[in-house]
Amino acid sequence: MAKEVGTRISTGVTGLDEILDGGLIPGRAYLVRGGPGTGKTILGLHFLTAGVARGEKPLFVTLEEPEGQLRKNAAAIGLNLQGVTFLDLSPTSDFFAKAQTYDIFTPAEVEREPITQKIVEQVEARQPRRIFLEAMTQFRYLSPDGFQFHKQVLSFLRFLMDKGITVLFSSEASAMAPDDDLQFVSDGIIQLDASSERTVTILKYRGSDFHGGPHGLRLGSDGMEVFPKLVSEERGRPFTPEIIRSGVPELDEMLHGGMTRGMVTLISGPSGVGKTTVGVQFMKEAAGRGEHSVVYLFEEWLESFVHRCEAINVPVRAMIERGTLTVRQVEPLRYSSDEFNRLVRRAVEERDARIVMIDSLSGYQLCVRGGNIITHIHALTRYLKNSGVTALLINEVEAITGEFHATELGISYLADNLIFLRYLEVQGELHKAIGVLKKRMSDFEQSLRELEITRYGLKVGQPLRGLRGILTGTPQLVNHQIAGDGLRHPRPPRQNWRIRSDEQPE
Amino acid sequence: MPDEPMILVVDRTQRNLELVAQLLSRHGYQTLTGANLEEFDHILAEPQKIALALVDIGGFDRRIWLRCERLLEKQVPFLVLAHRQSAAIQQESLVHGARGVLIKPLTIQTLLASIRSLLAESA
Repeated sequence: MAKEVGTRISTGVTGLDEILDGGLIPGRAYLVRGGPGTGKTILGLHFLTAGVARGEKPLFVTLEEPEGQLRKNAAAIGLNLQGVTFLDLSPTSDFFAKAQTYDIFTPAEVEREPITQKIVEQVEARQPRRIFLEAMTQFRYLSPDGFQFHKQVLSFLRFLMDKGITVLFSSEASAMAPDDDLQFVSDGIIQLDASSERTVTILKYRGSDFHGGPHGLRLGSDGMEVFPKLVSEERGRPFTPEIIRSGVPELDEMLHGGMTRGMVTLISGPSGVGKTTVGVQFMKEAAGRGEHSVVYLFEEWLESFVHRCEAINVPVRAMIERGTLTVRQVEPLRYSSDEFNRLVRRAVEERDARIVMIDSLSGYQLCVRGGNIITHIHALTRYLKNSGVTALLINEVEAITGEFHATELGISYLADNLIFLRYLEVQGELHKAIGVLKKRMSDFEQSLRELEITRYGLKVGQPLRGLRGILTGTPQLVNHQIAGDGLRHPRPPRQNWRIRSDEQPE
Repeated sequence: MPDEPMILVVDRTQRNLELVAQLLSRHGYQTLTGANLEEFDHILAEPQKIALALVDIGGFDRRIWLRCERLLEKQVPFLVLAHRQSAAIQQESLVHGARGVLIKPLTIQTLLASIRSLLAESA
């Protein structure tokens, strides 16, 4: 679709402007539709206050909530309605208390003319540049039939647009009273939903491009926030095959030098095996280069993360103080995936984060709220790659030992690099091993190495050789036996213990 | 303005009376209104000439038909307003002298046309 050239006006909600490809084309009429509590009025209030900020004199026409109530609601979300004129056409309490009901004529005969007259008078007197009307569907009761309603709405909108006014009007559609006719007459449709999670979708935008599909939305103490879905094509850094190191020579050796910048690395393994520590190691090294990294903790508390990193010689506190590391604790049930992606995007675009670690994907999955994690993580990692940011995805697998699975989420195809960590059971003792299963940009070491997490930091041993069945978690000796003091290889065979009592050395 | 025809409107709903009175006034008619049988009786006892009556039977009991007969006796043409189409109401209305029955809600154009037609007929 061709983009309309010209000025756009803000809806007052930054994220919404973004998905509207810059905002609303002025002098047109847009339908805001959604069920009760989806934020139609709040959007209208944002739209009008954005007009005030531009020195305009916007008009709020309400056929439902009285002005006093609307002002209170606006104040509650910190919106200052000074400069907004209200035309309150909502029924007063007299209608009920003073027997104002009638049945001799239809409401269309009685109410339409005075209401229309009042609107025309206000528009002529105030000459607003933008109007929010809530709710256009109320006019349906003022029309004898569907045809008249359609004609009246069209004529009303034309009257406003002839004056160059940008109109946002809401509708309250139901199965009994659909608003299909309003959808046809509007130049754009903003659909608000609040089913499993709050979303906003642009269903139509005449003469303009827009970002389709549902986008995350939050209604909070600051009003409405929209979190556009990440679109990877938006940014793009030229790819440079730069290697980033972990600072642990043996680990870098396994990766044949290190990771390639701007790639997605999945660090997979069971609980407590050291996945986060491996990821943080890359950030420690990046901090040394003066780069900024961000860790999103979905499960662990910030203090506990800092404490355990400090305990293994990763000076996280100093990194945070120097601004080379941001650690953000994320409550997954509070954030939608779009909202979380927005956080990441800000870190990348505003704070120039070069490494982003998501710890862990299980927590991120909760943000997806039953949706498909692959779709969401795909968009996020594509965006990060396009931005030249290295993504570290921490993935916890359930199985401690047994049949090997790189990941249980079906996302290994997304990873350019796949580092896996395993527990090995050797004579009743648990040992840790690290291996590389995939590295897209270069060759890598095919063998596993023992991993130790000590107070001096991450220690990676020499390649484990002479073992088979390592991936089962209960390795067996092939040529020689293993010393009881660890899995250091190569070394002379010593007969002090064997991996399995029924296994004889060959 | 003595030349403007006087129209009597009887309706138990105050808002209906107001709306009809406003409408008729805008179209050059004078109105008398009655919201109950007592007011109806009082108006009928007055000597002023009534050109036409609109009687909304909603909310009244059968005694309304006696007042309709009084209108007939006084040679005041009248229309009955009812809230639903009913053969029984139609029959009762005509038996008691109504020139016709209009079903609510009315459209303004229909009401005005009916009034004009009846007045022309009476003249």
